[in-house]
Amino acid sequence: MESSKNGRESNEVISEREENIINFLDSMDTYLILMDSLSSTLRQGWLELASARYSMGASRINSTLFDLKFHPASTTLQVNEQSAGPDRELPHFTLCKWASSSNPEKNFEEAKFGEDELLKIKSNNLQHQDTSQSSENQARSPESVGTPVTVDDQAQRERSKSLSMFGTLVSPKLRASQVSFETALEMVVEVSNMRASLLSAYDQAQKDMDTALK
Amino acid sequence: MANRVQIRTSSSALIAMIADEDTITGFLLAGVGNVDLRRKTNYLIVDSKTTVKQIEDAFKEFTAREDIAIVLISQYVANMIRFLVDSYNKPIPAILEIPSKDHPYDPAHDSVLSRVKYLFSTESVASGRR
Repeated sequence: MESSKNGRESNEVISEREENIINFLDSMDTYLILMDSLSSTLRQGWLELASARYSMGASRINSTLFDLKFHPASTTLQVNEQSAGPDRELPHFTLCKWASSSNPEKNFEEAKFGEDELLKIKSNNLQHQDTSQSSENQARSPESVGTPVTVDDQAQRERSKSLSMFGTLVSPKLRASQVSFETALEMVVEVSNMRASLLSAYDQAQKDMDTALK
Repeated sequence: MANRVQIRTSSSALIAMIADEDTITGFLLAGVGNVDLRRKTNYLIVDSKTTVKQIEDAFKEFTAREDIAIVLISQYVANMIRFLVDSYNKPIPAILEIPSKDHPYDPAHDSVLSRVKYLFSTESVASGRR
């Protein structure tokens, strides 16, 4: 009886260890895939930047034009704790894009709320294809349109502000490069989160191996 | 419990960059540039005139700052201060090695992957068999 109970427990321990190893291998695979995607996105951004430099001139796109006056970042990160098991905490990064440089925290909340509302409206519009229902949605949407429009306007304002360090009239390639680097930034955050998971899974697998060797 | 590392939470942390001019230009366009009242930036542009000491100092400064959550560093720049990058083991700020225009990403040199490849190395297998 005692030995069968011990046998069952050791089977559970073995399957838990195997699960930890699989988590570790999965994290590593995802990390490599994300790094590959990030590399492609960065390459696209560099190419578009080079095209913009070619059309606008090298003197109009270089580091001497960077804004060195006091200004806070429009795109920041929110860092939270995420539980990865008993006694294990991971950092979790969330990107906050294009908050107003005047009041980043207030506008982060507005932007988050606005994005949620925008997603709800978009999903409603996709689900209800009937003209009668869509007209109801169109009638409903102006109530909430204030916040999504505000978020879009603010994001556009901040984007224009970033571009303005290279002049008022900029090449469309420079705008395209900006979008590519924004996408790259989102991937950077995903990679950072995956990096934290990978290191945590590695620590757990290492601990299991040490326990098994004792 | 004694080994539990405290995660520093923040609602508006910055991304620091140590990279070539084009990479930094791109990320500044994406809005991550920050200049404080003392005119200190959250980036270092690495070119042919940048010394290893300057890169080391920037790395140490960015990893010590409490308002920075991620440090992006071009992999070829990280290779110049490899001993410093590999010996860094705090969760925040997270160090991310990224490719540059002239130097594609090499997983063999990534500090995170170097750390975890021990599980696949002959050393770990041999120690298990003893």
